[in-house]
Amino acid sequence: MNRLRAWFLAPSWAVILLLFLFPMLIILAYSLLTRGTYGGISLPWSLESYQRFADPIYLGILWRSFWIAGASTVISLLLGFPLALFISRAGKRKNLYLSLVILPFWTSFLVRTYAWMFLLRDTGLINSTLQKLGIIHDPLPLLYNDGAVILGLVYGYLPFMVLPLFGTLERLDRNLLEAAADLGARPWATLLRVVLPLSAPGIRAGVILVFIPCLGAYLTPDLLGGGKSVMIGNLIQNQFTTARDWPFGSAISLALMAVVMLLLIAFVRRDEEGLL
Amino acid sequence: MNRRVFLVGASGLAACSSSDRRPRLNVFNWSSYIAPDTVPKFEAEFGARVRYGIYESNEEMLARVMGGNSGWDMVFPTGYIVKPMLANGLLAPLDHAQLPNLVQLEPRFQQPDWDPELKWSAPYMVTAAGIAYNRKLNPPPRAWADMWDARLRGKLTMLDDPFDTIGAALKKLGLSVNTSDREQLLRAEAEAIKQKPLLRAYLNAEVRDQLISGDVLAAHMWNTTAQQAMDSSPQLGFVYPAEGYAVYPDCSVILRESKRPELAHKFINFLLRPDIAAANALAARTTTTNSGARKIFPPEFRDNPTLYPAEEIIARGEWAKTVDPDSQRLRDRMWTEIKSA
Amino acid sequence: MKRSGRPLAIYALAAYLFLHLPLLILAAFSFNESRFTVWQGFSFRWYTAAWHDSQLMEATGNSLIIAVFATVLSTIIGTLCAYGLWKRRSPVLSGSLYLSLVTPEIVTGVSLLAFYQWIFRFLQVQLGMHTVILAHVSFSIAYVVIVVMARLRTVDGSLEEAALDLGANEWQAFRYVTLPAVLPAVVAAALLAFTVSFDDYVITSMVAGVDSETLPMVIYAIARRGVNPVVNAISALLVLGFGSLILISERLRTT
Repeated sequence: MNRLRAWFLAPSWAVILLLFLFPMLIILAYSLLTRGTYGGISLPWSLESYQRFADPIYLGILWRSFWIAGASTVISLLLGFPLALFISRAGKRKNLYLSLVILPFWTSFLVRTYAWMFLLRDTGLINSTLQKLGIIHDPLPLLYNDGAVILGLVYGYLPFMVLPLFGTLERLDRNLLEAAADLGARPWATLLRVVLPLSAPGIRAGVILVFIPCLGAYLTPDLLGGGKSVMIGNLIQNQFTTARDWPFGSAISLALMAVVMLLLIAFVRRDEEGLL
Repeated sequence: MNRRVFLVGASGLAACSSSDRRPRLNVFNWSSYIAPDTVPKFEAEFGARVRYGIYESNEEMLARVMGGNSGWDMVFPTGYIVKPMLANGLLAPLDHAQLPNLVQLEPRFQQPDWDPELKWSAPYMVTAAGIAYNRKLNPPPRAWADMWDARLRGKLTMLDDPFDTIGAALKKLGLSVNTSDREQLLRAEAEAIKQKPLLRAYLNAEVRDQLISGDVLAAHMWNTTAQQAMDSSPQLGFVYPAEGYAVYPDCSVILRESKRPELAHKFINFLLRPDIAAANALAARTTTTNSGARKIFPPEFRDNPTLYPAEEIIARGEWAKTVDPDSQRLRDRMWTEIKSA
Repeated sequence: MKRSGRPLAIYALAAYLFLHLPLLILAAFSFNESRFTVWQGFSFRWYTAAWHDSQLMEATGNSLIIAVFATVLSTIIGTLCAYGLWKRRSPVLSGSLYLSLVTPEIVTGVSLLAFYQWIFRFLQVQLGMHTVILAHVSFSIAYVVIVVMARLRTVDGSLEEAALDLGANEWQAFRYVTLPAVLPAVVAAALLAFTVSFDDYVITSMVAGVDSETLPMVIYAIARRGVNPVVNAISALLVLGFGSLILISERLRTT
């Protein structure tokens, strides 16, 4: 038993050690160094970058990012669950429907984002259609605000919610559902009291796969938010590019990761089985 | 099993690329900053093969070459980035013996302040920041102060770049874009925050389409991008603000990691040839640093007000200089505060 | 069950429309004669332009190669890992996988860039296809593990025990009992890994070398300068290509 398991885990260990943990150690080291005169890193060692981060303006940005990522995750869950349910019941066409969910995402994310910008603009498709139908007179400001960012995030990460949900829903024992129906439960009750709890692992997986990237997103808030609002991802990106302050950027990144890890531990501790 | 497949595949890929015997030059330049036939001409004349990559910002370029193993031979930084690159040991010195065409440069670019002896860089082309507007706007904007005009609420954009946007605010206050004076910078920050509610967004080149459609009536824009937009849309105009504006001279440098410095020198010299420089400026719609090129421009281009404005307008321009490290941190913080306001 | 079928199907239709609407718009305007968003007649010119754009074609090829290699590697490694973790937990490995998920893309990109720079001092490793593939594998594994793991949790462990009792060895138990049970999740995970790899911009742009430009990088460069229907054309082609592949494989599967 153990030998096979060791072989199975070995490649993952190799990848994680070499391509994740070691680079992360480098980033940790960077966060404890100082910004070089013209960018990059230099001695001396110091905790200054972390101290700088403990400032209302940066913490406020962190808070904002949590809020936006949270909203996006909840909406994806609400949108994605019925869709995953539908696909899991689709019989022979399951893979087809699944692939149709993924298909749009084989075009570039940027192109899809620009397509949304085209739809949402003042002179874009949505506004001009609404105006032509006489529903509105002046164009609605659909673009360059938080709503547009959330829309973009939901759109971008929906498959990350649908796929794990599908994974668990598909394996659902039909007998349980039939039993519930036999006992007189209506479809909604079956859904809430039987399907939902049984799909908890998929929901947890989906929530994690959506919330985390949304938190660290920077292209979407940049493009759809018009660069007017800063999420933590933008802040980090700015440090590594324009500001060339690698230590500060590294410190923010590690602080973010620590906060999220704490949340995940709290989230997962609620039942015995961990997610991974 | 997986590893073997990967290694075989990878070596297969590597083998594919080594079939061409010509010397290779890897050039990393700004987008739309060269004439389409310049590289083929160089390849034909010197029997070389050029891999030409593009980037959109100095930061993007720097992030890639910082490590010294990017694979690029030549890049085109803006003048104010040369010092930081030098400080980080990224540059190879220029051998003037291999660059006879350096004399073609205009006098003011023979001794630029970032590299007075041209030891490391060869000036290439120049951009400047100003205001592009849709002619629907009447009266048209004339100064930075017009970008703070409440009647343009929701129809204004500024560049998504701290140096440019803070610079515009500084100019509006009559100050230098390169100042490191803390008090002056804070005043500029206050101005930028005052402007934010009026802004539609912070956008760079992509604002062009919204300018044309009328979503945006006035946009903070570089003259090169503006000229490219104006080429296809006569309803757009460009103005150099009355209070002054920032100027960004770009230059070519050879990276220290380059294994083909002689070929790189040949390319730089090639770019300095008047006919080539003229073709580049014409195609890319830019201001050239090459006086030989200017002489052979067609008259409409030579007198283009956006790219080759009158002397008194040039006098208002201020070259962007390297931001000193302490001020950099303040500016960085200011930018975060402006964006989060 | 069947009673709730109709509303669910209608919802699914609406959801698919939402997902594909931007695509349809893109495709529609890829046939636009004018480069701007005003319709000016039907034309194939952007398709010919895309076909002749060697940089675009090469980038697409690179993206495909990278995605295929990265998907195969990460799916295999990730599935094996999920199985191993399911058998007995390993807090350190799980924690590290968690961490790799939690890391913002820009940070992963920078850390890998720094790592490659560090390695560069000892081995002459330049940035290139291999660095990108390895980077993609590193961030895809966690996704695969999560998706497969979620499915493994619903698999009855006693089935394997029964197989072992009946004389199978561990490998056979895995191969013939558990693996078939999680195969749909493995396929879903592979799809996810392929998507994530093909679509990645942030990390790839940081670790790509001179010859390894990918499609997202080229598109980003083009689109940054404004609307360009060439991008629409290539997107439409990609969707058409992948869509056909899927339809064909569906046909093959169900015959």
